Amino acid sequence: MEEHDENRFRILVCIDGSEESYRSLRYAAKMGKGVEADIVLLNVRQMDHGLRSGGLQVSVARQNMLEWGLELPGIQYLKKGADILVEVGYMASDRRAEFSHVDVAGDPVGDNKISYIGRNKRRVILKLKVAADIASGILEQWEIGHYDLIILGASKRWERKKRRSFWDPETAEKVAMHAPCPVMVARQLLVGHSHLIYTDGSEIAKEVVRRDAQFAHLTESFVAIVAVAPDVESEPEAAKHAQEAREIVESMGIDVFDTIIRVGDPVEELIEAGADHSVIVIPDTEEKGLKSLFTRKMETDLMRRARCSVMVFR
Amino acid sequence: MADWFSRHGGKGRHDPAGVEAGTAERPKSAIAHRTLGFGFFRKAVRFRFRLYYFREKRWFFYALIVGAIMLQLPLPEGLSREGMVVLAMTAVATILFVTEPIPLPTVALLIVVGQVFLLGIDSSTVAKSLMTDSVLFIMGSLMLAVAVVKQKLDKRLAWLIVRMTGTRTWRVCLGISAVSGFLASFVGEHTVAAMMLPVGITLVTLTSEDPKKVRNLAVVLLLSISYGCSVAGIATPSGGARNAIMIGYWKEFFYDPTSPETWKYLVSYLRWMAYAYPMFILQLPLVTAILLFSFKPEYRNLSRAVVKLRAQVESEGPMKTGDWVAIFIFALILCGWVFASGDVGMGTIAVFGAAAFLVAGLVRWEDVNSGVNWGVVLLYAAAISLGLQMKNTGAAQWVAESFLALLEPLGADSGYGLWAAVSVLTTTVTNTMSNGAAVAVLGPIVLKLAVVAEESPIILGFITAVSSAFAYLTVIGTPACTIVYASGYLKTTDFLSVGWKMVLMSTIVMLLVASVYWPMIGV
Repeated sequence: MEEHDENRFRILVCIDGSEESYRSLRYAAKMGKGVEADIVLLNVRQMDHGLRSGGLQVSVARQNMLEWGLELPGIQYLKKGADILVEVGYMASDRRAEFSHVDVAGDPVGDNKISYIGRNKRRVILKLKVAADIASGILEQWEIGHYDLIILGASKRWERKKRRSFWDPETAEKVAMHAPCPVMVARQLLVGHSHLIYTDGSEIAKEVVRRDAQFAHLTESFVAIVAVAPDVESEPEAAKHAQEAREIVESMGIDVFDTIIRVGDPVEELIEAGADHSVIVIPDTEEKGLKSLFTRKMETDLMRRARCSVMVFR
Repeated sequence: MADWFSRHGGKGRHDPAGVEAGTAERPKSAIAHRTLGFGFFRKAVRFRFRLYYFREKRWFFYALIVGAIMLQLPLPEGLSREGMVVLAMTAVATILFVTEPIPLPTVALLIVVGQVFLLGIDSSTVAKSLMTDSVLFIMGSLMLAVAVVKQKLDKRLAWLIVRMTGTRTWRVCLGISAVSGFLASFVGEHTVAAMMLPVGITLVTLTSEDPKKVRNLAVVLLLSISYGCSVAGIATPSGGARNAIMIGYWKEFFYDPTSPETWKYLVSYLRWMAYAYPMFILQLPLVTAILLFSFKPEYRNLSRAVVKLRAQVESEGPMKTGDWVAIFIFALILCGWVFASGDVGMGTIAVFGAAAFLVAGLVRWEDVNSGVNWGVVLLYAAAISLGLQMKNTGAAQWVAESFLALLEPLGADSGYGLWAAVSVLTTTVTNTMSNGAAVAVLGPIVLKLAVVAEESPIILGFITAVSSAFAYLTVIGTPACTIVYASGYLKTTDFLSVGWKMVLMSTIVMLLVASVYWPMIGV
């Protein structure tokens, strides 16, 4: 387990060189400033599949690259992430750095980490990790560091209405399903826009409302509440749930700029309502047993189809 | 999750005024996790792992269900029970190759076990079928690949390229493809891709450090390496495992030392080159043309990068004794393949070459051991073993007859139509799995197809082996593509946007050569 301060808020941001991952990093920096959070930038490289390279390990090619003095792509992405944190003032450019390395059998690069420690012992860590697959790498990293929030970009395959979704859950979906902390699947994530928090009146939903209102406040985002009634007859009950949620947020001294009541399928309504917001926030439905194997969970559907970021709270 | 805000009463530098510390209990599982410190895979039980194991491995179970259903089906006419078992095993193995729900070497182990339990073959017989000259060649060539890459001759090659081609971008791309292709035709595309990758990246980074400013240039240079290697892999038997596999099948299926009419099925190194090398030469300029047409490089001249590269190479100093010894050993291996492989087998020469590099101290065993994925060798061995059982049980014959019956209404059951159909089938399969595995699986069927359709098994075998190289569409299609993708400069869509043009071009060139040139050399 990585040495870390249990009292410090820790955010894990998954960096893959995409613009979305750097937007997520800016969002994390904004949130982290409010609570002096540790931010870990993680790039996961998948272990090589020898069959795809004809039996010659890709590590041989990578070793050759390193011997030419060339940087591997993951390192470039992480360095760019560090530059962004300096640019937004989260990290000083002359911070003290600590380097560490863990060998990974058969891989010339292995796992590498650079820790920057600033005043108040706030850490920024650049981590380059090798794992069997990207989702496993992210989840293994959670095991090491026990993060309070994971942010990763939405799968590109969802944008193209990919054909492979039947074959393999996307990385974001796997992480969101398995991680024991809130996971934000980022899509066009903007700092300081708005959070749309879903409530169904349950105790879990109320807890999510309370916690995400604090996240939104830290990132100077507006808070909106949404409740969805399955039919017109249930609309008053949904309105009641929304009102309860509003009262919870306002009792924390945070304004709620909108309360939305919709009728229909929760996923469809949330997608439509979420179009004007930067993040839709939902609780983990925690379906159990065989049902969870065969039924598409609400958060999975929402993650795939929403036009904005989705945060699954657990 | 243990709620950070609950533990700290919402305190922080920007403490939202009036936030009450939450009193919600932390989820028990999170508490247990923090105190007991389980590793990820044991803790997966907490993540409803029991059910998600089945979800993660679902294609394994789907494949088993498909196999079980096939075994329960009534036997089609003309197919034996053993043949049906082999077809079921082939279907299961193919699904597992494509979807990879379990480590691929496990598929090899299951093939071995399946032959013993389902076909009732003696385990020693199965074991013997796993080690043929083709498998020795695969093993030896992979060891050679590691040894050659470790010699660090890539900088010399880079300088040779830019000296020959000058600094114009299109000429550099053509030069890279030509040199990569020439080398890959003898040592295999994975070797050359691993050697040339830093050359391509260096030319890109020396042109501009901002990747956005050289995006197209990077694509053109790196794909020149991968596609130059890929089109060359068919040119000689040592260019790829698929070639050695097909040579092995011709010998196994048709060669009878007591019957002189069958001696033509012993295809020598030079004879293969006579058939296939012209295809590689014809494709070379077309590869560059396609790349430049698809991605217009931002820089038409790379003089700045070339000057810096020259300085880097000159800092290496003159060639060392070890470099010359390596070149000598490699030349020896090449001569062995050309002149002696007919007698002792290509695999023996390859293994000898690997041993020579180790004895000369030019490479360490530790490097060879870590650089070769031995599970892949096992996989190829099992695939070849299964292919032989397809022939022995008559499954290949039955599939060939059935396939021909499908082609007959389309008029593609003979001549150019059949050639095209075989090419399309092989191209489709090879874009979903490795080309060696594609040939291992399809080879027996195609060779039997040739017999049934009264076509030359040599021609159809060549078409299959050559078409198996047309895996240009995806990152995982060919080893060279996988290796250059590791540079981080390419997107998966780059392969698709160029790959379909490459497939079209390669198919046309192959069919032209087969119909015009091969008759001239008496196939």
